[in-house]
Amino acid sequence: MRILCLLKLVGDVDNLRYDPERNILVRDDGRLMLNPEDAVAAATALALKQDFPDMHIEAVSMGPLGARPHLEDLVRRGLDRATLISDPRYAGSDTWATSAILGRFLQTQVFDCVFCGTHTLDGGTAQVPAQVAELLGLPYLGGISALDGSSLAEGRLRVDVEEDAAVLRFAVALPAILGFQFDPKRKLPYIRYEDLNRDVADRISVIGNDQLGLDQEEIGLRGSRTQVKSLEAEAFYHKDTLRVGNDPEGIETVFRFLETRGFLAP
Amino acid sequence: MKRVLIYIDEAAVPDSVDLLEAARRMYGSGRFQSYALALGGDCGDAVGLFDVVVQPRAGTVPDYDAAAIAYYADSLHRRFGFDAVLVPATPFGRTVAPRTAIRLGAGLVADVTEVRSQGDEVLMVRPAFSGRMLATVTCRGDGPVMMSVRPRTFFYREREARTTELIALDLDYPGDSGIRLLDRRDRNGGKDIRDSAVLVAGGGGALRDFSQLEQLARALRGMVAASRKAVDHGAAPRSVQVGQSGKNVGPRLYFAVGISGSSQHAAGLKNADCIIAVNTDRQAPICSMADLVVEGDSRSFLTGLLTRLDAHKQDNQGG
Repeated sequence: MRILCLLKLVGDVDNLRYDPERNILVRDDGRLMLNPEDAVAAATALALKQDFPDMHIEAVSMGPLGARPHLEDLVRRGLDRATLISDPRYAGSDTWATSAILGRFLQTQVFDCVFCGTHTLDGGTAQVPAQVAELLGLPYLGGISALDGSSLAEGRLRVDVEEDAAVLRFAVALPAILGFQFDPKRKLPYIRYEDLNRDVADRISVIGNDQLGLDQEEIGLRGSRTQVKSLEAEAFYHKDTLRVGNDPEGIETVFRFLETRGFLAP
Repeated sequence: MKRVLIYIDEAAVPDSVDLLEAARRMYGSGRFQSYALALGGDCGDAVGLFDVVVQPRAGTVPDYDAAAIAYYADSLHRRFGFDAVLVPATPFGRTVAPRTAIRLGAGLVADVTEVRSQGDEVLMVRPAFSGRMLATVTCRGDGPVMMSVRPRTFFYREREARTTELIALDLDYPGDSGIRLLDRRDRNGGKDIRDSAVLVAGGGGALRDFSQLEQLARALRGMVAASRKAVDHGAAPRSVQVGQSGKNVGPRLYFAVGISGSSQHAAGLKNADCIIAVNTDRQAPICSMADLVVEGDSRSFLTGLLTRLDAHKQDNQGG
């Protein structure tokens, strides 16, 4: 059984700050972090490996070379290998071009299942996994909240998709692409003390377009089918704000505010 | 005359029909023909508001099969040649849209919150960098303009009546999506925070205060909502998350308790009538959006306000 974990390193959005005077985004540090839902996907794969020790788990990520230490870290946590798809020619790729690049890589791979997060923290549009699935003609399900490991041997995986109104249980024929939703309880395991400084260089591959061989017209800005015309800071609200302290007077002000606007039961 | 295809998500029919407003803003009233692709039997107001409603024969495709829907959209496009294809960015629409985009060879602009046209070009606005910026995006290439639209950002108020032509799509999906629905368990208490007039929302500064938030919500006949941080910490379920990765809400009153108001969160709040913020940090972005700011700790504020509301209730009952 081979599981590929499609992972994205995203900018740490909580450390992004908007500077209204200079009208720019300030990245207090250039830190990358593993997209939280992707971490859930990798953690789910690692949990399965407990029951199926022969399972091979490989991380696949497209991004800058700065992502490499994060992939090494994942190998130290128990993944078998990692591939970083990194090429300056891929810069500026939109989701169309990104899907084409990832799709081309996956075509060269043998796998039973691709695990990924449903959304990313930065884009949040959940496009790439479904687009890659369509390119490869594979089933795709997003928003997965649970997976029945015992069904793995049957060639059909039973998964739960948690929605607002219902929990749906599906059987998915393998190979397939599965997108997980965030689950605060599903965490990546810690790195064992003796593995903290383990040299894992021989388990990391870095490849680019020389290996994947996509046409120049398919990648980067030229290969993109959407174009960003302009980027502007969202207009911030400026209201006449009334400020009060957290004291009896402040609480009375809030109470009157609610009362005069009809929010209190008669 | 432009032609616009709108996918009707069975789980969100009114939100899907509202995408007619996005089409109207792109091309202008009466200057486009509207086509609805509806799988379910019930397509709400679509009949009467669209020019054409296309439905596959009953039972030919399960309503959770996004690959089949993409196939149908593609066949319709070959037949009618759409200028634009719109999909609501519902949980299921978020799978339908990318699959359809690949089929149509179209670049997909996702989660659109604003549209307009400039000459021949359709400009779409969407949040970027976790909602900190607004990106104006266009589609390139030969395919139709393709977008998924954030539910409840457009409201089709014009409701111009149409004589709807019904087309039964007599087409079998040749593939096998490989996905079977085994079981569906409905969750109780499924009221949607988007339908509540009052929301009492907690964030990273109120992670331990959700039982009090619940009491306050009850007192104000509203519902509890949460920021991404609170949901990620397991303090509240994802279904009540407000913001770019959650829901767009438009309550009459939004109580933001211990929420800093990142633009990710603010993106979901634009339609709120009035906002009360409770925060220890007077510089928190939420404070500049609020009508009323309480500077202080959420726990003691909640205790104080609940006591005050309780006294009010006693007074009312007493006299």
